[in-house]
Amino acid sequence: MTPAGPRIARCVALRVPSSWSRQKQRRARGATPRAASFRFPCSHSRPLSLPFLQVSACRCVRRPHLQQNRIPSRNSRPWALAPQLIHSLARATSAGPHRRLRPRPLPTKDSAQPSATTQREQPRRRAPRRPERAAASRLLPMLFGRADPARRGGESDHFATFPSPGVPEHCSPTWARPLPLSLVLSEPLILNPESLNICVDNIYQRLCLQWSVRVHNLTHYQLNQLKMVFQIQISRINTSNIIWVENYTSAVKWNQVLHWSWASVLPYKCATQFAGIRSRAEEKDATIKWNQVLQWSWASELPFQCAAHFVRIRSRVEEEDATIPRQMSWSEWSSWEKVDGQNSLGNDSLVVFPKERIVEEGSSVTFCYISRHYRENISCYLEGTRVHGEQFDPDVTVFTLNNVSFIRNTGTNFYCERDKKIAGSVLYVTEVLEEPKDFSCETQDFKTLNCTWDSGIHTNFLNITNYTLFESISRNKILCEHKNWYNWQVTQDSQEMYNFTLLADNFLRQRSVNIVFNLAHRVHPKSPFDLFVKNNSATKTTVTWKVHPIGNYSTLLCEVELYNKGEVIHRHNVSVTVSGNYLFHDLDTDTEYMVRVHCADANHFWKWSKWISQNFTTLAAAPSEAPDVWRSVKSKPGQCEVTLFWKPLSKLHANGKILFYNIIIETLDKAYDLPPLSIPASASNKTLTLDLCAYRFYITANNSVGRSPAAVIVTSGDPENNVEEERVNGTENGISLSWKPQPGDVLGYVVEWYECPWHLDCDPQWKNLGPNTTHTVVSSDAFTPGVRYNFKIYGIAANKSAYLLEKKTGYSQELAPSNNPEVFVNDLTPYSFTLDWQNYPANSSSQPGFIKVCCKYKINNLEQKTFTVKYLQPESSYQFLVTPYTSVGEGPDVLFTEVTTPDEYSHILLIYIFLMIFGVVVIIIICSLKIQWMKEKCYPDIPDPNKSSVLSLIKSKENPHLTIMNVNDCIPDAIEVINKPEESKIQFLGMKKSLTETGPSTPAYLYLLPAENNSSGPGPCICFENFTYNQAASNSSSCNHFSGSPRVPPNQLELLTAPEHLLKALEKNYMNSLGEIPAGETNLNYVSQLASLISGDKDNLTTNPPVPALCSEYKTQMAIPLGLVPPPQTETNNTPSISLPY
Amino acid sequence: MKVLAAELCLPPGVVPLLLVLHWKHGAGSPLPIAPLNATCATRHPCHSNLMNQIRNQLAQLNGSANALYILYYTAQGEPFPNNLDKLCGPNVTDFPPFHANGTEKDRLVELYRVIAYLGASLGNITRDQKVLNPNALGLHSKLNATADVMRGLLSNVLCRLCSKYHVGHVDVAYGPDTSGKDVFQKKKLGCQLLGKYKQVIAVVAQAF
Repeated sequence: MTPAGPRIARCVALRVPSSWSRQKQRRARGATPRAASFRFPCSHSRPLSLPFLQVSACRCVRRPHLQQNRIPSRNSRPWALAPQLIHSLARATSAGPHRRLRPRPLPTKDSAQPSATTQREQPRRRAPRRPERAAASRLLPMLFGRADPARRGGESDHFATFPSPGVPEHCSPTWARPLPLSLVLSEPLILNPESLNICVDNIYQRLCLQWSVRVHNLTHYQLNQLKMVFQIQISRINTSNIIWVENYTSAVKWNQVLHWSWASVLPYKCATQFAGIRSRAEEKDATIKWNQVLQWSWASELPFQCAAHFVRIRSRVEEEDATIPRQMSWSEWSSWEKVDGQNSLGNDSLVVFPKERIVEEGSSVTFCYISRHYRENISCYLEGTRVHGEQFDPDVTVFTLNNVSFIRNTGTNFYCERDKKIAGSVLYVTEVLEEPKDFSCETQDFKTLNCTWDSGIHTNFLNITNYTLFESISRNKILCEHKNWYNWQVTQDSQEMYNFTLLADNFLRQRSVNIVFNLAHRVHPKSPFDLFVKNNSATKTTVTWKVHPIGNYSTLLCEVELYNKGEVIHRHNVSVTVSGNYLFHDLDTDTEYMVRVHCADANHFWKWSKWISQNFTTLAAAPSEAPDVWRSVKSKPGQCEVTLFWKPLSKLHANGKILFYNIIIETLDKAYDLPPLSIPASASNKTLTLDLCAYRFYITANNSVGRSPAAVIVTSGDPENNVEEERVNGTENGISLSWKPQPGDVLGYVVEWYECPWHLDCDPQWKNLGPNTTHTVVSSDAFTPGVRYNFKIYGIAANKSAYLLEKKTGYSQELAPSNNPEVFVNDLTPYSFTLDWQNYPANSSSQPGFIKVCCKYKINNLEQKTFTVKYLQPESSYQFLVTPYTSVGEGPDVLFTEVTTPDEYSHILLIYIFLMIFGVVVIIIICSLKIQWMKEKCYPDIPDPNKSSVLSLIKSKENPHLTIMNVNDCIPDAIEVINKPEESKIQFLGMKKSLTETGPSTPAYLYLLPAENNSSGPGPCICFENFTYNQAASNSSSCNHFSGSPRVPPNQLELLTAPEHLLKALEKNYMNSLGEIPAGETNLNYVSQLASLISGDKDNLTTNPPVPALCSEYKTQMAIPLGLVPPPQTETNNTPSISLPY
Repeated sequence: MKVLAAELCLPPGVVPLLLVLHWKHGAGSPLPIAPLNATCATRHPCHSNLMNQIRNQLAQLNGSANALYILYYTAQGEPFPNNLDKLCGPNVTDFPPFHANGTEKDRLVELYRVIAYLGASLGNITRDQKVLNPNALGLHSKLNATADVMRGLLSNVLCRLCSKYHVGHVDVAYGPDTSGKDVFQKKKLGCQLLGKYKQVIAVVAQAF
């Protein structure tokens, strides 16, 4: 194999692109490999149509998988040019492009000694190979015998023109004659990858392959380029476990030294690592031009230390645009190359891989640990959280973390722990590198270009982003020190166009942005300077400034702005070369302004410069208008107090700072003037106490320049007209006032009001109006809702005196009443009552609005302070509320007052009660007067038994024979009661002793006593003790003790118990009496009272039985049955007895 | 890694003579010190109360060692704070020995070796931490302050050795360089060294 001819060698030596030469220079200076790897594709801007094969020896960096192989002719084929042929072509063309080339016979040495691969595949390739080679032998002399293809007419269709895609246009081509199509139709081409080298990047976990393709066995072919496919297989753990198969396609050009770089395939850092290898390969390729060094890399998610990997490769030549089908075959596989990362584990019994890992946020990362004591329990954690892995082999466990997120810029420890050992690594998660934003360059002086960009936010300090600025036209490249700006030095070679590429790169990724611009279109002038302001007059000012020159003939467009109170009032553009000026006029006098200027390139606007500004104040002038003046006149006996008020002049009319006011007073009645007064500017009124009220006042405002026109006002001592006050309504815009126009000469009208009517010393407010005005709206920020304001409208006469025309009163905004009237209820009747709120000031100015009517019962008359509610129901409750209301609303809604109407008959009832009380009183009086009579009649001291009700009751019943004993008939000291009137005989034989002795002679009633008791004592008797008649008898023991209960004969009992009620009552009383008798005593107690002896009673003694009288004066007396014992109850069953209580 | 501080070029027979002259107990053992006539010149005279200053410096180091240790392992993140026995144990190989019951001269010589070893290791740790934990300014400050005190202590010890014992050179040993280690290993070695430092400095401070 011989290298290319001297022509080609000369091209190689002389036509090296500037990029290549700079790269070599940088490498020689020790520049970083990364910087050297920054390459750009060659220009393809020169399509070649010459009928000669272009052979370029220029070195360019290309991206073969992105490159489009241009085939200019449909019938063109990839030609395989034998080196000898190329050599002869080169020698021929070295004499001149139009020299005819005489082809030399094709060498047969390589054909006679094919490679092993060719020999093995020869049987199936031999058949198509021979006719093609024969045809090529016939056509080659014809082809190379013609120097000018244009003269070959249609034969040019049989020649393929191969413009070299990678040839820069400034490279001198070496021309060779293309081969006829039939010449290249030969047997399948087999090219084996050779010199397979493998490198491992453990940091980025990339497996890098490098191989070459030797074409020394293709001596019979001359091809310009062809396409090859390389198939790469990767196995893990063992060769049979294939985990990755990839076909890598590359366009291979012969007779041209190429260097291949795949930025998109080859990782950025891996490419950097390969830089040294590549450099050596390039040097080798420079001498051995028929070989190429190809590279490919593969990223493994699993660290290579975790498992062994195996790689092999084979190739196949692809035929592009094949019109004649030809069988293409794969080459032999290369032998497996083993990548064993576990060789360097050392003696550690527990290790974690990868040791460090930098990944982008959101990506996945795989860790593994290798334990030589795999049976032990090992736990792995990330940020304190245990993660579970997958057993990869007996020694290796793999952990895959998906979608990792940023935790901290110092990384996160991933560690595995065993009993006494911890092994770990650090995971760094970085943000995904973004493309620089807002990249722009501009100049201020055509000397430097200030390039700026927004680099975004970088959180990971380990993954530092570098910024490189590359200008492709000048091919200057700068590694920027700052991450968001760089000042690029403009070269002095009048370079107009700039093509900047900003490359941002970190360990994982690179981004770039590009801008192309004309330098003259990126002028950002410096700020103007020497800004000066000159006041020409009170209203004119001139502004001048200077600009920094840009270039020799540059013109700047400057914008001048005038500000007043923060707002732009003037804006003008001025063209400036060196200095500019502008005249402002119609300015306000004595006013502060700010002027500012900035400039831009007038020809190609890019950006305004920074502002330069200055404040200034215009000159003052005399006030242009008279002050607005009003007066207040108060007449007092013998003098007049006149207060003059004036409003400060507006800034527009003051024309400067007002220093003082002058007042000149003229008397209207007397021919003398008072001395003028000078009032400081801070005052707004002046009170004058004058002898009279008729004066003419001249008021002027004065500043440093002069005085204003005088304001004239005349006062008179006449009282104001008595006019009626009218109500006006307030609106949103204010209080609307209108008045009737005045006939005659009226200079104008003045509306006067007080904004603080609740203050006595409140200054008046006024408003001057023209003579044709009859309506105005008064508004003021001082107006308060709910406050009544009074307005006076004055007419200004020709002599400047004011006279009152109308009075108005109203509210700027009415409010609802805040208080309800205090209401009293009067004249309460069952059917009506009267409400009274006499004290409520309904029409007072203190009301927050005009009080109108009241609620349910509308009271339109404000003077009516009472209201009678009629037609009510008696004895009913009513609630009422008296509240005022204005046009806005009612007063406060407080609790209603309740009123209850009285009962309709209550007064009659009162009369009845009164009469009853009166009657009772009368009766009491009568009774008290007739108490003796009443006592005698009602409750005498000794009741009359005949008048006893019991007696009358018994008497009225069925016993007509019942008689009452007449006390008068009894012996005074003993009473013997006999139930049988016809047989009874009462004997009183004397005292107690006599009674006992008379026992045998007892009357018939004695049979009532028990028989056995008869011998024990004298016969029973009933003794009535009456001390009135016989005190001695009452004290006798015979009357104190009773031994038995009285027994009543049945016949008599029937008489006595005829009325059942009475019997029951008697029995009950009797039993009660028994209960009071001590045990063992069965004597009867009789209560008796002797009635006073009445003569009439003696007759009734025998006929009327004794009747007990229930009088309180009775004393208890004991009836003693002398010598008798009460019979037992059992013996008296058949003879029921009943005792009669007396 | 052994570094000979100064190359001794003495005539033959001088060393045995010196040994005889300075014979005392233990004189037969190899002393890592220079002979009397070796260069032992200090630029400035030693402080009059040098031992007190050394004691104060040792006390200062001892007082801040634990805080530095805690600050360090806290800045490394998990699992360091909770696995001090596994990650930060004082398993430092080739650490110079120190015998508290030796003579003052021997103790000073051993102290010199210890401080030299620690100073070099602290330099490695400071360098690594500025890369691994650039925001841990407190840790950086404390590491630097400790290294500064160690440098002063080393100078004082050398001055004492030179002025009193005429020892101008001491063989010292340094710990392994961590620049080639992985990040986790750097953290671990630093933690182990600071743990050892905390342990040793307490003994040394007590010995003086």
